[in-house]
Amino acid sequence: MKKLLTVASGLLLLTLLFLWWWNARAPKPIELIPTLTGQPEYCLTCHADVPEISPSHPTETFGCVSCHGGERLALDADLAHSTMRGGANPSDLSVVEASCGGSNCHSGSEADDRHHIQRVITSIQSTYAGAISNIRFTFGAQTDLSAHFGIHAVTDEQTQTGFTSLAKFDLFNESNPNIQKFGENCLTCHINATPREGDAYARQTGCSACHSVGNHTYTTAIPYTQCNACHNRGNYDLRTMTFTERTDQPTSRLADYYQPIAQFTQCEYTLDCIDCHTRSEVMGDGDIHANQKDIQYVQCKTCHGTLTELPLTKTLTDPNDIAFTLAFLNPIIDLKLGDTILITEKGEPLWNIRLLPDGTYEMIGKATRQYFTFRPVMGTACEQNPAEQESRYCHECHAVEH
Amino acid sequence: MRPSFFHHLHPPTIPAAQARWRHTLSAGGTAVFLMLILGVTGVLEMFYYIPNPEEAALSVQTITYHVPFGGFIRNLHYWSAQLLLIVSAIHLLRVVFTAAYASPRRFNYLLGLGLFILAIMLDFTGYILRWDVDICWPLTTGTNLLKTIPFIGNFFFRIAVGGGEACETALLRLYTWHIFGLTIPLVIIGIWHAFRVRRDGGIAVPPPALRSDKARLPRNELVRREVLMLFIVGILLILLSTFVPAPIAPAMIGKPSPDAETRAPWFFLWVQQMLKWGDPFIFGVLIPFGILVILALIPYIFPKPADSDIGTWFPKSNRLAQIVVSIIALIVIMLTLMTFIP
Repeated sequence: MKKLLTVASGLLLLTLLFLWWWNARAPKPIELIPTLTGQPEYCLTCHADVPEISPSHPTETFGCVSCHGGERLALDADLAHSTMRGGANPSDLSVVEASCGGSNCHSGSEADDRHHIQRVITSIQSTYAGAISNIRFTFGAQTDLSAHFGIHAVTDEQTQTGFTSLAKFDLFNESNPNIQKFGENCLTCHINATPREGDAYARQTGCSACHSVGNHTYTTAIPYTQCNACHNRGNYDLRTMTFTERTDQPTSRLADYYQPIAQFTQCEYTLDCIDCHTRSEVMGDGDIHANQKDIQYVQCKTCHGTLTELPLTKTLTDPNDIAFTLAFLNPIIDLKLGDTILITEKGEPLWNIRLLPDGTYEMIGKATRQYFTFRPVMGTACEQNPAEQESRYCHECHAVEH
Repeated sequence: MRPSFFHHLHPPTIPAAQARWRHTLSAGGTAVFLMLILGVTGVLEMFYYIPNPEEAALSVQTITYHVPFGGFIRNLHYWSAQLLLIVSAIHLLRVVFTAAYASPRRFNYLLGLGLFILAIMLDFTGYILRWDVDICWPLTTGTNLLKTIPFIGNFFFRIAVGGGEACETALLRLYTWHIFGLTIPLVIIGIWHAFRVRRDGGIAVPPPALRSDKARLPRNELVRREVLMLFIVGILLILLSTFVPAPIAPAMIGKPSPDAETRAPWFFLWVQQMLKWGDPFIFGVLIPFGILVILALIPYIFPKPADSDIGTWFPKSNRLAQIVVSIIALIVIMLTLMTFIP
């Protein structure tokens, strides 16, 4: 018995030593106490190599949990990740309010220009309202082109457009086989819809669809390639109501654009999309719109003017002007008080385009930082009928053939 | 050599036949050892545990992941508690199967049964103290069973949970039950139980005249055997606690979603299985209580075991008690297993 006891006590000692060693080899937790929450979190223990998402969201201020959710104290991966919002993408529109919202963040008032989430969820980019109403109108399910349905239900209590809400488009209520096919094949576009499977359809949802340019990096300098992740990934066939995914990797912006009949001027395939298209066009203006054409309004003349009118300009006199905020977020230009920039007919600043003393304009690419100068149409030999000033008329002469 | 305090807790000599491992299965001694571990680890956990609905689950995560050896201590507490239930059940079966409950040990049998019930209640309240998403539905189901008892159900519910919804208000009350309301009676009855073992003449054996093996062991040998068992159980617990972590789930924020864990803790699965069959009062309260009453009455209304049979395995004279307890055990095991059938 005494021998047995000696062996057992030896074994117990060994087990305790093993326990000590087992505990010693566990990784040392890395604590982060973000100033915004003041609550310790330990995500960096495993994720120390993840880059800061953007200069506007410093890690030491926001940490990880205020956006991603998750169990901040857990060191077990399964538990830590179990309550993350939107999986790896907290900006998915189903959870975006909890992740990115808040009156001081992205669901504040329109007056403070902090209603980003309201803008996105009501925008055509996420409702797909125009396509749905067009298809339903075409196949007799509705009598006009007004918007009734979106990919998800959405409301706009302070509507400026007359649309106070969209109901969720439900295939169950549709009888026409073409609408059925449309519903089955064409609703996976747009940032509020779950993407289709397959590499060609690889895109993100919510804010990340546009602002995340990979490897945990958010930016407002969105390159055209980011837009092409959705807008140049294949083509739809209206006869069969199917989507044909492209199999090649586009290399030429001019030749590989998905609509072969489209015409492009040089700036349209040289600049980035966001160099011309404004915030409200791309991200919505907070109101529900019936169609893409109701929100997209920038034309060639917005920057170039017409034979009789110069483009609209604004001289910056208010240090709180939104133009300065936008230039701060994407510091490509040293805007100063007294500078004259272009604005659109709705008054949105084209803050990367500045009037030069000689009457020409300088423009800096928002994503590429390329420097361009251009002159207005006024005073040139343009022969365009003054009554026909939409971009499609400019394309008649200025489109580049390929 | 004068016996030490620990030696003094044991009788000077005990019958060799009944001191064998294959007779006692070391169940009672192991239960005491596990309770000691539970006491020590429980106190260590109390240094960090915060019985506040907003912070409880986070403090459990702090214990698990950030306190030095906290995860190990918590696992040790968890595994000791689970083993305690198993060991107590084995102890109960051993006592019935060796006719050890016979007079004069009838009352001590009841004390033991009371300890078993306290241990189950302590395990359940301890499980609830995690206060994470997985405990809400089992807590709601369990405590709502109290309400089904006619006339006095609501009173019991208020005693157990306090006012309001179980998942919202019960934490502090269940914490107090766990730390004081159940633990103190367990300690007192536990000491009483051990005292009664000595007072009733030590381990159950036939009267001296009827013993076939009259050999006796000195208490030094008994203590050695106990220490050996303690080492073996200790090693097993350390290994279990190192490699198999105690359950943990995300903190509960508001009421958990309907897809949170709905399974009862393992020792109540058999009741949960019966609840699928109908009236919660009959299946959730009356039948378990009836089983308890049957177990409690074994020493009083079942045929009295022959004196020569006391302390021997499966004697003929208490066959009925063996059969009844075996059937109860089998039913409980079967019902538990049935919950794993999809």
